[in-house]
Amino acid sequence: MTRESGTTIIGIGNLLMGDEGVGVHVIRHLERTAPPPPGTEYLDGGTGGLHLLEPLQARTRTVIIDATADGRPPGTVRRLTPRFSSDYPATLTAHDIGLKDLLDAAYILGDPPDVTLFAVSITLPSKLGTELSDPIAAVVPGMAERVLNELD
Amino acid sequence: MARIVVDPVTRIEGHLRIEATVEDGVITDAYSAGTMVRGFEKILKGRDPRDAWAFTERACGVCTTVHALASVRTVEDALGISVPRNAELIRNLMFCTQMVQDHVVHFYHLHALDWVDVVSCLSADPKETSRIAKSISPWPKTSPAYFAAVQNRLKTFVESGQLGIFANGYWGHPAYKLPAEVNLLAVAHYLEALEWQKELVKIHAIFGGKNPHPNYLVGGVPCSINTEEVGTINTERLNHVGSLINEAITFVEQVYIPDLLAVAPFYLDWASVGGGLPNYLCYGDLPTKSYAEIDSFKFPRGAILDRNLAEVHEVNGRDAEEIKEYVAHSWYRYERGDEAGLHPWDGETEFDYTGPKPPYEQLDVEGKYSWLKTPRWKDHPMEVGPLSRMLVAYASGHTDVQELVNETLGRLDAPVTALFSTLGRTAARGLETKLVVHWMKEFYDALIANVKAGQTRTFNDEKWDPSTWPATAEGVGMTEAPRGALAHWIRISGGKIDNYQLVVPTTWNGSPRDAKGRRSAFEASLIGTPVANIDQPLEILRTIHSFDPCIACAVHLYDPDGKHVHQVNVC
Repeated sequence: MTRESGTTIIGIGNLLMGDEGVGVHVIRHLERTAPPPPGTEYLDGGTGGLHLLEPLQARTRTVIIDATADGRPPGTVRRLTPRFSSDYPATLTAHDIGLKDLLDAAYILGDPPDVTLFAVSITLPSKLGTELSDPIAAVVPGMAERVLNELD
Repeated sequence: MARIVVDPVTRIEGHLRIEATVEDGVITDAYSAGTMVRGFEKILKGRDPRDAWAFTERACGVCTTVHALASVRTVEDALGISVPRNAELIRNLMFCTQMVQDHVVHFYHLHALDWVDVVSCLSADPKETSRIAKSISPWPKTSPAYFAAVQNRLKTFVESGQLGIFANGYWGHPAYKLPAEVNLLAVAHYLEALEWQKELVKIHAIFGGKNPHPNYLVGGVPCSINTEEVGTINTERLNHVGSLINEAITFVEQVYIPDLLAVAPFYLDWASVGGGLPNYLCYGDLPTKSYAEIDSFKFPRGAILDRNLAEVHEVNGRDAEEIKEYVAHSWYRYERGDEAGLHPWDGETEFDYTGPKPPYEQLDVEGKYSWLKTPRWKDHPMEVGPLSRMLVAYASGHTDVQELVNETLGRLDAPVTALFSTLGRTAARGLETKLVVHWMKEFYDALIANVKAGQTRTFNDEKWDPSTWPATAEGVGMTEAPRGALAHWIRISGGKIDNYQLVVPTTWNGSPRDAKGRRSAFEASLIGTPVANIDQPLEILRTIHSFDPCIACAVHLYDPDGKHVHQVNVC
């Protein structure tokens, strides 16, 4: 399989479910504040399930931003390099075939992607709505900066 | 007597719990519960109706495009907007793309593992798989070396201890009937389908600007057609769509349908299990003229009662007496009393959780036990989905549907009554995919002909400005999601959304009993289903998966560990 060189930055989450949408909020922040550097694409992945297999394989590198309810203080950001679904922290996607399965699928297809994951800790239940809570909104600009620093 | 709990049902979208009573190896009673709440109808109140699609399409990562379609249609219905013919054709192409992709993904990635034993294929003879593959299809990837390579890849994967997408299977269960070689064929196509589906969905990005959440527009589609211009729908992009459609036809005809017909004969006993409700509802879609001309739909609108295929009843989403939602067994409170049935224009979304504090062993099924409301059509419980679409089209006299259904039944030597079953539902999904992928080509050809004739209009801006709207308006937008009838209802007041309600397919199929104690489709379909081993209720998954449940837009997940609870209480 041929991949374009460069990086796809995918924000995952449900925009209607408050803090669960933090990944998408980071993408929107990037779109507003920094045009994508050459060879880089920003993608609002929503809760896209299998629709994301193609973008996951499109470029040599993938950076994903997603929310996790891992019990850490809200707003904690961890940088991870998951290989299998079992390396992936507890996600919130409503889909049984979700991002974790995509990683496995890509592995079985013989072409595992180079994934860097930024996991943002949130607390559940997150409030229904399109706004982030204060502690999560506060980390969005810093997250956007860290993601861009990955590209150097 | 044993009470089986499957929670969550895996390989579906969202979070569903099934409780079933088993006596002498057969299910005698069943309860279906959406155990996670949402209710984003509340988010829409007070917003601009022209923006509603962008919120509703976030209800689910799978059905994004049909929720957006239902939404723009409900606003257009309320305001009396008709869309240009090309916009209708492009919407049809988006619809078909999603249906074909979703059905293939359902067959291989969500449902096949109920019938295909993945672990068994490790012992298959690749030469024999190759012989079988060549005997059923001209598809090129059929060499023994190819199947051996797939087998090796799978072996490495299993030996690494990372079952991943193949976790939570009841491998080795005696109800798996396929020879190891057919299992290997199915797993090879499972992997090929993963690769293939990611190409097809590019059509969403071409017409909708992006995927998985493509753009929609009240009054048309948000893409302009100009054969010469970069950045619009130009000749290059139209050609790309054309080749993706041709590839889809080949994949469906040479992989999906042959596999379905190869697997079905091993499971003909499932043609008399899982029938459930005798009533079928289809809102219809795919207008060949305009959306206002219901008679022009490829999927006709209608209802069938008591499996009487001699009569198709008319369905009207605007009639306050036809579609109503009940909450007698749902965790909601109606202002006018929980016995009431509310037409969606008058719908209410007030939570009223009265269930046990999780974790719990058993739901109180005498009281409220689900986050799904219970919809009824003229007071009848109805099944929705591919089987309903095919039956309504068959009974409406659509000859292309009749010919395909009759030919397939003939090949399997099965009577028409075989359709009313778990296997019938799964077969209907395959057959409609074959029809839809060809209809898609017709819509594409019509679009190209229009463009060649110089017709490039895709948007009607007559009533875009809210100052042209009436003070109040009501609308309904109906469509068919891959898993069944989907509609949105809107009330507009002073240019803003006053009320917005979604009634989604899995609410029809997976809802709890109504106030009269009558079951909806999931619960009804499980009665009489055999369960060979109560510790591995594979049979429950077969029937529930045959509906392709999607709870994501009916409820919302709050279980971060995604843990698989399977519990059996013997009482």
